Amino acid sequence: MTHEEIGLSGTPKKSVTIVIDGRKCRADEGEIVLSAALREGAAIPHLCYEASLDPYGACRLCMVEVCHNGKTSMVTACTLHATEGLEIRTDTPEIVKYRNVLFELYLAEAPKSDVIKEMAARYGVTRTRFLKKIDTDDPLGGSCVLCGLCVRVCNEIMGAGAIGFVNRGPYTVVGTPFFEANTDCIGCGACANVCPTHAIRIEDRDGERVMHSWGGGRVRLAQCGVCGKYYAPGALTAATLARLLPPLRDDLAGLCPACRAKRIADEEIRVNMRGGADHHVRPRRS
Amino acid sequence: MTGAAEADLPAREAAGLRKLKPDRPRIAVGLATCGAAMGGDRVYRRFQEIIGAGGDDIMLTKTGCIGYCREEPQVNITIPGRPLVILHRVDADDVEEIVTAVRAGEVPYEMALCRVPSWDHVTGTTVEYGGGFDRIPLYQDVRFFSHQKKVVLRNAGFINPEDIDEYIAVGGYAAAKTALTEMEPDAVVAEVERSGLRGRGGAGFPTGLKWRITRKAPGDEKYIICNADEGDPGAYMNRNEMESDPHMLIEGMIIGAYAIGAREGLIYLRAEYPLAIRRLELAIAQARTCGLLGERIFGTGFDFEIRIVTGAGAFVCGESTALIASIEGRTGRPHPRPPRLTDIGGGLWKKPTDLNNVETWCNVPVIIQNGGDWYARIGTEKNTGTKVFSLVGKVDRVGLVEVPLGTSLNTIVFDIGNGGSQGKKVKAVQTGGPSGGCIPVRLFDTPVDYENLNRVGSIMGSGGIVVMDEETNMVDIARYFVNFATGESCGKCVPCREGLKHTLLLLNKIMAGKGTEKDLDTLGLLADTIQKTSLCGLGQLAPNPVLTTLAYFREEYGALVKK
Amino acid sequence: MDEKTLDDVISRYDSPSGRLLGILGEIQNREGYVPRDALEMLSAKLDVRLSQLYGLVTFYSFFSLKPVGDHVITVCMGTACHVRGAVEVLAALEQLLGIEDEATQDGKFSVTTEDNRFTLEIARCFGACSMAPVVEIDGNLYGYVTPETLPGILGNYGWRES
Repeated sequence: MTHEEIGLSGTPKKSVTIVIDGRKCRADEGEIVLSAALREGAAIPHLCYEASLDPYGACRLCMVEVCHNGKTSMVTACTLHATEGLEIRTDTPEIVKYRNVLFELYLAEAPKSDVIKEMAARYGVTRTRFLKKIDTDDPLGGSCVLCGLCVRVCNEIMGAGAIGFVNRGPYTVVGTPFFEANTDCIGCGACANVCPTHAIRIEDRDGERVMHSWGGGRVRLAQCGVCGKYYAPGALTAATLARLLPPLRDDLAGLCPACRAKRIADEEIRVNMRGGADHHVRPRRS
Repeated sequence: MTGAAEADLPAREAAGLRKLKPDRPRIAVGLATCGAAMGGDRVYRRFQEIIGAGGDDIMLTKTGCIGYCREEPQVNITIPGRPLVILHRVDADDVEEIVTAVRAGEVPYEMALCRVPSWDHVTGTTVEYGGGFDRIPLYQDVRFFSHQKKVVLRNAGFINPEDIDEYIAVGGYAAAKTALTEMEPDAVVAEVERSGLRGRGGAGFPTGLKWRITRKAPGDEKYIICNADEGDPGAYMNRNEMESDPHMLIEGMIIGAYAIGAREGLIYLRAEYPLAIRRLELAIAQARTCGLLGERIFGTGFDFEIRIVTGAGAFVCGESTALIASIEGRTGRPHPRPPRLTDIGGGLWKKPTDLNNVETWCNVPVIIQNGGDWYARIGTEKNTGTKVFSLVGKVDRVGLVEVPLGTSLNTIVFDIGNGGSQGKKVKAVQTGGPSGGCIPVRLFDTPVDYENLNRVGSIMGSGGIVVMDEETNMVDIARYFVNFATGESCGKCVPCREGLKHTLLLLNKIMAGKGTEKDLDTLGLLADTIQKTSLCGLGQLAPNPVLTTLAYFREEYGALVKK
Repeated sequence: MDEKTLDDVISRYDSPSGRLLGILGEIQNREGYVPRDALEMLSAKLDVRLSQLYGLVTFYSFFSLKPVGDHVITVCMGTACHVRGAVEVLAALEQLLGIEDEATQDGKFSVTTEDNRFTLEIARCFGACSMAPVVEIDGNLYGYVTPETLPGILGNYGWRES
């Protein structure tokens, strides 16, 4: 498939018809088929797909059968792009057979994950023939399936690069260098948010965010100048404020979102009552 | 850098011939890795002591490996007007006797493996050594050699790999000159297409077509890469090609870069091959000094540089997207294709990139020199040319074997290899490394080519042929390969990372006598799943050793499981 | 590794292609392992995240984060070596050196004797298959090795039967 076909050349996207399990659906030309299929309500399991990241193709659960010129092949829907007339099936006996084995492998790899158990059960897999991985010291609580979402979000979206894959093959784990607290971590918590199996443990306490899963690293939380509440990691707010244009007024910068909104609203009301208008972003020394 | 002087090939050719056929005896010690380790190093040092003491009446030099590894260390003797004589199994203690004989115009007959009155270097140059020594068998009468056809290994074991003059003397760089000064890039691509050459890394993709796709890809900046990460255990063809004839690889890359339109070439070379790295570094420096690399090569407008990139031990980096990631300083975890390497956005630093195996590049000079049609007449219709195999394991005559594609396993294992070592019965061969399969002896009439090896469940791979005899347990072999693949899995996708691990656990259980028939069914299902659902070739092919041993040696599994 | 040596190594890599693996490889060759401080210095000097470097060092089998002993013995586990007795050779070496199989956390086999004189490792294939089984000690290759010939070979490196 060329880039012209998948619409990377900047031209407006054409709408195409694709066929999912015999049902005709609309999709943008070049759109990720998994995304289109999920929108259409197709039951395709997946763990490593996230629309804002590049196709990754690691969990292999979204494999579908593609019919092309009378020949069928199995591909991951998260790396497949929509083209006119593309036909996929999500529940052939072959797909079900292999998907079930993959679920069994996941049940053995992440025996503590309720998400995995529930997902597998939805597809009829409730037990595994394979030896379960038991690791009592696992900072990810026996729930990590190495989908890579946390690593990719941390590196590609947040730009922090605090965590990464360590080792290879069956020894692969996600962690910080030397499994210690990493000063590159800004404490944004995007890793925990994106984790499909809720394996990552982060806790806010005593004015700090503690990254339990990442070597116990601590990131200071910013404290609201008005209500005194800890509202976000200091490093993250500083980085975000530094990027704002026009910049946020100094006296608003140290407030939590709720107090900030309240102060702006209060000012607006006061100004309106005085009959004038002002703008909260204009630098003003009080 | 200023443009180096235009390459003066005729002067270098003459100088090289004076070194290959000096006016005094020449003694060349085979010093590739195996030869050196088997005592060649000590033999060479002993020659230095003895000859050094007696003046400079004998020229002492090094050569690569002629491939008959069982007979190391080997020493070539060239006495003016006499045939080149290859001595075998030479010991440092033999050196004094050899020098005494050579000084008397003789060779020690009992150490002689064979004689070579003249040698055809295939590129239009035949070196005539001379006659005599009739008591010594001719090269072509030695059974290890008589079924072989040397095209890629035409210079290996004859020239000094550390001397560009000798390579030029046997027709080297003439093809590069022809290509750059007399042919349009498209004509070069067409010639490679006409030859029918297919990728020697194992997948067998038509080389000319890959070149054409990369050439046509948009953009001015393109790369060519040589995959020298010879990863299959049991395979060492590429090591010898680089150690014995490094300039052949460089010349192939110069021609390819010109045809494709690349100005930079990279050789991704595994760290386990220090001698190959040293010899290639030296060869690149020599080529640069001679104006064969750098700016305005052969006085044309074509600039080209080659850089060596050292791998760091990861089998998966043989996979093209992982190899690119590795060069760019990332872990070798494959990503889904497309984009392919040849696409914009898919290659090195997102530029269109052509990746070929060492042996593929090595085939290029002779194709340009003799023509694609000449090349296509070797081998079979869809599998042209020769292929170098490393014939190892429990075989009598261990070594590197070059035969036309389509040669049967019988010829390779029995005629060339002389069957099992110590008279034992051969049971099977394993081809293609961890991605290949085990082929039982009853299928040895299988012609060795890409399609026929696939048909019996194996693959060509890079050319390792490991022989198993009656004492080899095939379940253990399957476990060996699965253990290898598990350790080399990048860990990205679940069937490969977890599936192979559980395959290994099952095989351990079966080998320990604790397996059941049900475990065999699970093993088969797991292997099938890994093959069908893995992200890259490593995972997709890793079950082959299990699937082929289950298919051909089921009774060995059956004997191990509980009834 | 001191800063100047590292600067020297870095300065030899003028192209981004192969740069990180090349530099790490030189550190490994010089020190016998990749020391943590070298990794941290490299991260600062090249502005590459430490997590990326740590990922590389733990992914590629050529690198080690553990210091090695005076002599490094590597047993080739290639296919030809395997069918010709590499497993027995490895077992004999473990016995001669008094090393026991340790559970590994990272998948790399590297064990050092208590007196720090020998480190035993395995390699996937040296490509010296014709002389299988093969053992490498401090860069020197030994072919056709058997459990019986090992004591003699080890003797060259100061090993004595205890």
